[in-house]
Amino acid sequence: MAHQWGMVIDLDRCTGCEACVVACHAENNIQTVGEKQAATGRAQHWIRVERYYEGEFPDVKVKFMPVMCQQCGQAPCEPVCPTFASYHTAEGLNGQVYNRCIGTRYCANACPYNVRFFNFFNPVWEKPLHLQLNPDVSVRTVGVMEKCTFCVQRIKAGEIQAEAENRPVKDGEIQPACVQSCPTRAMVFGDLSDPQSEVSRLAHSNRATKLLDELGTLPKVSYLQRDSWHGGEDT
Amino acid sequence: MAAVNSVYGLFHGPHAAERGMNALRAAGIAPDQIIVMSPEPFEEYGFAQAERAKLMPWLVALGGVIGGTTGYLIAWYTQTAYPIVTGGMPIMAPWPTGIVTYELTMMGAIVTTLITLLIGSRLPNWKPKLYDPEISDGKILIGVVDPPDNARADIENRLRRAGAEQVKATGRFSAS
Amino acid sequence: MVAKTPEQINEDLLRPLSVTSGRYWVGLAFFSGIVVAALCAFLFQVYSGIGVAGIRRPVFWGFYITNFVFWIGLSHAGTLISAILRLANATWRRPVTRCAEVITVFALSIGATFPVIHLGRPWLAFWLFPYPTERGLWPNIRSPLLWDFFAINTYLLGSVTFLLLPMVPDFALVRDHAKTAVRKRIYTILALGWTGTPRQWHRLEKAMQIMAIAIIPVAVSVHSIVSWDFAMAPVPMWHSTIFAPYFVAGAIFSGIAALILAMALLRKLLHLEEYLLPIHFQNLGKLLLVMSLLWVYFVFAERLTTWYGNGSSEMAVFWLTQTGSYSPLFWTMVTCNFLIPFPILAIKKLRTITGTAIASFTVVIGMWLERFLIIVPSLSHKYLPYSWGTYRPTWVEITITAGTFAAMALLYMLFSKTVPIISIWELKWGRHEEPVRDPVLAQRDEEAMA
Repeated sequence: MAHQWGMVIDLDRCTGCEACVVACHAENNIQTVGEKQAATGRAQHWIRVERYYEGEFPDVKVKFMPVMCQQCGQAPCEPVCPTFASYHTAEGLNGQVYNRCIGTRYCANACPYNVRFFNFFNPVWEKPLHLQLNPDVSVRTVGVMEKCTFCVQRIKAGEIQAEAENRPVKDGEIQPACVQSCPTRAMVFGDLSDPQSEVSRLAHSNRATKLLDELGTLPKVSYLQRDSWHGGEDT
Repeated sequence: MAAVNSVYGLFHGPHAAERGMNALRAAGIAPDQIIVMSPEPFEEYGFAQAERAKLMPWLVALGGVIGGTTGYLIAWYTQTAYPIVTGGMPIMAPWPTGIVTYELTMMGAIVTTLITLLIGSRLPNWKPKLYDPEISDGKILIGVVDPPDNARADIENRLRRAGAEQVKATGRFSAS
Repeated sequence: MVAKTPEQINEDLLRPLSVTSGRYWVGLAFFSGIVVAALCAFLFQVYSGIGVAGIRRPVFWGFYITNFVFWIGLSHAGTLISAILRLANATWRRPVTRCAEVITVFALSIGATFPVIHLGRPWLAFWLFPYPTERGLWPNIRSPLLWDFFAINTYLLGSVTFLLLPMVPDFALVRDHAKTAVRKRIYTILALGWTGTPRQWHRLEKAMQIMAIAIIPVAVSVHSIVSWDFAMAPVPMWHSTIFAPYFVAGAIFSGIAALILAMALLRKLLHLEEYLLPIHFQNLGKLLLVMSLLWVYFVFAERLTTWYGNGSSEMAVFWLTQTGSYSPLFWTMVTCNFLIPFPILAIKKLRTITGTAIASFTVVIGMWLERFLIIVPSLSHKYLPYSWGTYRPTWVEITITAGTFAAMALLYMLFSKTVPIISIWELKWGRHEEPVRDPVLAQRDEEAMA
């Protein structure tokens, strides 16, 4: 059976350090748009740490929630793309094919999680920053939509390596950059179709919920938390 | 303009034109030799009844069916040739297929209307056999194409008696 | 009032084709300038990247899609007047049909440019067309944008056909009255050799009848499909079943308003006072009133359902437009679409040509605002509050928007100079279809019988 990649994020462990955000930028050749463009709302953070404040000083609580593409099983971004740039892969990922994208931005509007990012200008890496680009990941051009891919280049590399060594992929062997960089091990990545994998076990935990579950998107990312954020309410 | 032999009268209104038509029919002239031209359609009058467009709606319906079939085939072929899963929907999604089929049905009907209009009216025909620019000023032309020589005077009299403002001739008749 | 003879009608309605006032050239230059500026703005956008426009995350659609929906909506003018009134046998429509159909064709053409203008990579817009590629890939028919592609093209073809077919007898008329050899040649070609035989008239009439029946469902489907660009996405206050009828009603509403405005301007500028009569404006004004009430009904029904359901994400958008940062625009829209037009159109004394023109002007503004307020507030406040944002247009979008209005005016000016803006043969036909006998013609009849 094909792998069905999924992720679990333990919100009780997340400190909001944003190491995942930095790692993602480095791994996936994501540009920093500059102060002016970021102020306009064009910053591109494939994974972001949402920060919500609750209560009044001195009883302030801060909640952190890393949000990236949920790789929805019934992704609203997929049917609306006229050129099939956004589609569902056999391994349960939402694939974004940069070459097919003509930039209608319908997918970004349809995404309830706002996890899609658009290249409003051609990205620029001033020398010597261009030396840090990851050769495994393409650089996107102006007018193209991009988003978290669960580091599909690492998934592919891991699968190819396992195939070459004539063995199945080991649980925990493939780690996207964010999962790898998390200091508190709040993020776990693995094969949801394997009932023995850590991600499957955690996804079935009684602390697990999904983001915007009620919309019927069937996201692959589960969030673990001791109490839900709204007292008795589920969502 | 190709020279055609004809004798015709220009009438100022539909009632007079009707009289002209009746006069020509009474003379025993065959309907397919009588030529009528007007600046507007005169559906209610007898002189404008020739050559109705009975077949057109059926052809348009057929065109619609062809368009719809084409639409369905386009949807079927393009989506199954390179099947890509999107949003959990089936590859041949029924509702979108229905929409595309519907739009191309209407497109087929519209294109067929245009084509049958042009072909049925024998347009474009930039060199019509017979035409008089006075029609644009509101006159109705009722006349006979290729009448026998000896009938010419009779036709002209009939047209004048019926109320033709002018009687003209073309082709070999125009010389005299 | 003495009825006009055919020669007089010809003269009046053909005069604009040969007589050009100074202010025509001024207007032409002015509008052309704005269109050129818009073109430059677009080229600048293609060169620099779409980031020069104001769209951003999360409001990925802004002015361009507003204009797209607005102009496609405006194009429903011609369909209503030509097709529905024709089927309802409303003979008063005759002088008005061509004005309306011209609006349709030009508004559609303008609207249809926006799917290209708003693209991130507009040079690849042709990928929406289903053609065999070396990749073996075809467009995605599940996408509402593809439905847009088919629907708008069908509607454009239908509208152009609906406009051009009845123009052929008028081209023949202009051909016969052409004053210069060049004009005669051009109009001879355009007239296709039309002579006016019953064969031709029957087929033209039948074609118009068929087109009238066919174009109405196409028009309804076009704006329904445009509305589904929004309704198919799970965005608060977009994902609503009311969108299709709401948009179609709004389209007809804005279309009638545009038509009244165009007619009022033409009447004044081309001296058509004896052809575009107060009764036309009265009748269209009544239709506009009905559509205004219908619009209020749809807005109320949609907002009531939202408010009663009290979903947290939906209510965030709801309050945003009702009392929040978009409320000035929202209440301006309500004023323009209902509060101003309603008294003007409902009170007979106020339903004059000037009155209906004022009401129509406010409706056009209000309907543009309505499209904007459907698109932007919902996108700015989706489900996750951390990603809420704002939108501000840049000079590029504003210039291109201004360019579309200028393009409409420009196209209309060019059209009215080359084709009689009132369908001459239909006007004359309308006159003689009624049993009232023209005294001038009746007398000539008597004389001929003697």
